[in-house]
Amino acid sequence: MSQTSSTGVQPRTQTPRLGWLSRPRSFTDSRRFFLFFMAAPAVLYVLIVGVWPLAQGFWYSFFRYNLIRPARTKFIGLDNYIAIFEDRGARQAILNTFQFTLTSVSLQLFFGFCLAMLLWRDSRFNRIALAFLLIPATITPLVVGLIYKALLGADYGLIGYYLANAGIGPRTGLLTDSGTALWVLILIDCWEWTPLMALILLAGLKSLPADVLEAGRADGATAWQRFTLIVLPLMLPSIFLALVLRTMDAFRVFDSVFVTTGGGPNDATNTLMVLAVKEGLQFFNIGYASAIGNITILFIACMAAVLLLVVRRADVRINGK
Amino acid sequence: MAQVSGRQVFAERTAVLLITIVMLLPVVWLITTAYKPSNQIFSIPPRLDFQPTLDQFRNIFGYFDVVSLLRSSVAISAGTTVLSLLLGVPCGYALARSRSRYATGFAYFFLAIRMVPAIASLIPFYLMMRDIGLLGSWWAVVIINTMLNCAFVTWMMFSYFRALPRDMEEAALTDGCTQLGAFFKVAVPAARSGIIACVLFCVMFSWNDFLYPMFLTTLDSKPLSVALLTAYGTKDITWGSLGALAHFSTIPIVLMALFLNRYFVQGATNGVQ
Amino acid sequence: MTKIANFRLSKTTSVLGASLLALLATTAYGQDKPLAGVTLTLASQNDQFGAVLAKLAPEFKEATGADLKVEIMDYGTLLTKTTADFVGDTKGYDLVTMDIVWAGAYAENQYSVDLTDWVKRDAAELELDDIYPVILESLGQYDGKYVAFPFAAYANVLAYRKDLFEAAGLDVPKTMEEMVADAKTLTDPAKNQYGFVANGQMGAAVAQDWMQYNSQMGGSILGADGMPALNSPENVKSLAVYKELFADTAPPGAIEYDWGGREESFRQGIAAMMQTWSVGAPGYSDPAISNVVGKVGIATAPVGEGVAPEYGVGGWGMAINADVDAKQQEAAWTFIKWLVSKPIHKEFNLDGAGSFMRISQMTDPDLLAKFDFLPVIATTYENGNGDYRPRIPEYPEIQDILGSAVNAVLSGAVEPQAALDEAQAKAEELF
Repeated sequence: MSQTSSTGVQPRTQTPRLGWLSRPRSFTDSRRFFLFFMAAPAVLYVLIVGVWPLAQGFWYSFFRYNLIRPARTKFIGLDNYIAIFEDRGARQAILNTFQFTLTSVSLQLFFGFCLAMLLWRDSRFNRIALAFLLIPATITPLVVGLIYKALLGADYGLIGYYLANAGIGPRTGLLTDSGTALWVLILIDCWEWTPLMALILLAGLKSLPADVLEAGRADGATAWQRFTLIVLPLMLPSIFLALVLRTMDAFRVFDSVFVTTGGGPNDATNTLMVLAVKEGLQFFNIGYASAIGNITILFIACMAAVLLLVVRRADVRINGK
Repeated sequence: MAQVSGRQVFAERTAVLLITIVMLLPVVWLITTAYKPSNQIFSIPPRLDFQPTLDQFRNIFGYFDVVSLLRSSVAISAGTTVLSLLLGVPCGYALARSRSRYATGFAYFFLAIRMVPAIASLIPFYLMMRDIGLLGSWWAVVIINTMLNCAFVTWMMFSYFRALPRDMEEAALTDGCTQLGAFFKVAVPAARSGIIACVLFCVMFSWNDFLYPMFLTTLDSKPLSVALLTAYGTKDITWGSLGALAHFSTIPIVLMALFLNRYFVQGATNGVQ
Repeated sequence: MTKIANFRLSKTTSVLGASLLALLATTAYGQDKPLAGVTLTLASQNDQFGAVLAKLAPEFKEATGADLKVEIMDYGTLLTKTTADFVGDTKGYDLVTMDIVWAGAYAENQYSVDLTDWVKRDAAELELDDIYPVILESLGQYDGKYVAFPFAAYANVLAYRKDLFEAAGLDVPKTMEEMVADAKTLTDPAKNQYGFVANGQMGAAVAQDWMQYNSQMGGSILGADGMPALNSPENVKSLAVYKELFADTAPPGAIEYDWGGREESFRQGIAAMMQTWSVGAPGYSDPAISNVVGKVGIATAPVGEGVAPEYGVGGWGMAINADVDAKQQEAAWTFIKWLVSKPIHKEFNLDGAGSFMRISQMTDPDLLAKFDFLPVIATTYENGNGDYRPRIPEYPEIQDILGSAVNAVLSGAVEPQAALDEAQAKAEELF
């Protein structure tokens, strides 16, 4: 108690940074052992369950390997990767996936943050609202795609019919036009996942030390100042988490695209995972599908690294060194 | 977060209410298909009114063993969530508190695991489950989902624990608290909101994941998410069954979220519980 | 729990009521229930027959003592799970419904038990001469061997709106040229009325519908040498016509239709003509799901001027997993024989499976009373072609290549010639 009040400003300097290379203090061996054993089970588990299949997938990607035509299996080096970049459809899919991910995650961050701020105040109303807001995320994504396809159809969809007849958007429906289809899919993604984005951010907001916020209020800072000077800096780890998580998942978008447009019209909404699932689970072309999977991992890793750099920079700028 | 004007609260609530309603409209459409006669689900021009019927529910109880589907969904989600938290929360804590330079490396390792597209590991994993005889059981799904979710929980908790000042635990340790005691009595309660968020996440991810269960379960062990797809025939989509089944897949999650959200409160102030 | 059990029971009793014939069949297999204690697991496509198969399970147990578990799945899940089961030797399913186009892959990899000898041995019991040759050949055989046994055959037919044709004073089109002309006549966007509808969605949806039209226009996916000939002049021409049909006579949203969207648009009454599988035909006169009850006629599909009449045949065969042990295989074969036996298969169809395949069914008074379009199906089978979608192992890839090419043409991004040239180049890489 006394400690709290005497160190009211203290947490500022204690604020965790994404630059987690804080100077080590003297630490007992028992603490180190304890932490080691806390971490070991999860690390072991992931190594056993996760890394083996992944390594196999990596290995397969250098083969022409089709489960349906096992006789034709052959080591082909990087040919699968080369084939991806030589294919016009696949190149389009890569571009689409990036456009989809960047737009959709940015929108979700913005709306998710707004939503989290709105829900921050602890009240029964907000708790119930949050529970209901999570409903879209509980519906199997494939079904989400089906719902929107049914609603947006120009001929008898509840929304699409009136839009098309009012002359808003293409007469053939929003999902049939190469100019609008990807945007519709982005909005579907936002609909489904913005509440989850808000949930992560809200958990971050709720973890903020209350006294720091109080201190800001006591200092007479305006709401905007409190937001930019206190909340935002402290929220950077949560924002990073939410961004990385959604980027990873958005980059792997598949279900909603698969059922609404199948990647069309004319590849306008084709994504990497639609290609990969088609190759892997319809043609059982494991080599090629694994190569797409590995490229996906590579792209996601690059984006995560960029995000990390950006957030760390922001951290340094806002929180000082 | 005290002393705010009633007007501000009112404005906030109105906004939340409006957003919630707009977000729920597509779901409401899906749910209502369950009460519509099949020939009234679509019409030209589209209409909102219909004569309510319970036929669709009768149909799905004829086609599906809904109780078994629910049981599988619950078992898979609960198993995944419990295991993921047991593995992930301590690990996230350890990585956040560790000063070893390998800690960061491990944190990124978990992030990398979470990135893996299902398609890359699905078939090797399928064969692995066959070899250890778990194919077709809930365990197969729980094991793979736990792998992905514990990676995620580790990352999430890593972030939240880092955001918590360490002086509290250090004070507790100096006061003679055991290591484990400091973790459970100080660190975990302080990160409560983060943990609740993790629970919600794990449950939802495993509840509506269908690619793994589709591949790994059989008739007796398949969950609702897979059954939902059955309504998606080549020739037709049986919207009524989809809507009726959606009740069973949505309502439990809402109830759970309502329950958990009671604990989803502002975190501890610095040092006081 | 009890509720469900009760419900099941009532369903079962209704089935039993309708199936005196089944009891007759029982005696044929002896009273001692030779398969008592055996459990057969069947992976079924979610077509109309899926639910009926599940419904017949208690009757099968009654007849033979074997339990039949039917797992109904959507097409993608079925393909993925059964292939994984075959490739991983996991013996998850004893019986698998096999789409006509999977035959090549089944044969090449020997996923299923070769039924040739059993079929020969039990020819009399199966009453093979009562099944249309085209069905036996295309739904069961590949390269002369039975990879599966047909149980659900579909005829590609033309569903048309009698009222609209009458009002316009038109006859049902016999040729593709007439059909195109009629479609144009019957299109009036101001009245939200369109002459024609087909699948436009990228992927399998648009590919399958186009292959059907293409074959009727005299085109072909494979050349005489069995290799892909996607960019043949006939194919290019038929694709141009198809595009014209879409642009001028189909509902605006048709370019994103898959089967569900196409059928719904017809049931909503905005399309005057649609080619479809006969299995859905009873649905148009079912007031519970259709808004065009009593206005729909079923006719044989039109064929191009000067093209010998050949109609599309599709459907499903029942295959036995080659990995399961001999006893299960025998039991599975018993099930197949039971299912396709005259009385049970008739009941199967009376219950709404839409899977007519026996010559005697076409003139069966009970069936005719319920399904007046059977003569159309008979004509289709008599001149049937089950190979307009080539049943080769590479079919899935070819279908996908065409699905992208045709969709690109329909969306106006590419000209037919260029699209098919590119598709041909891609298809050649598969061989």
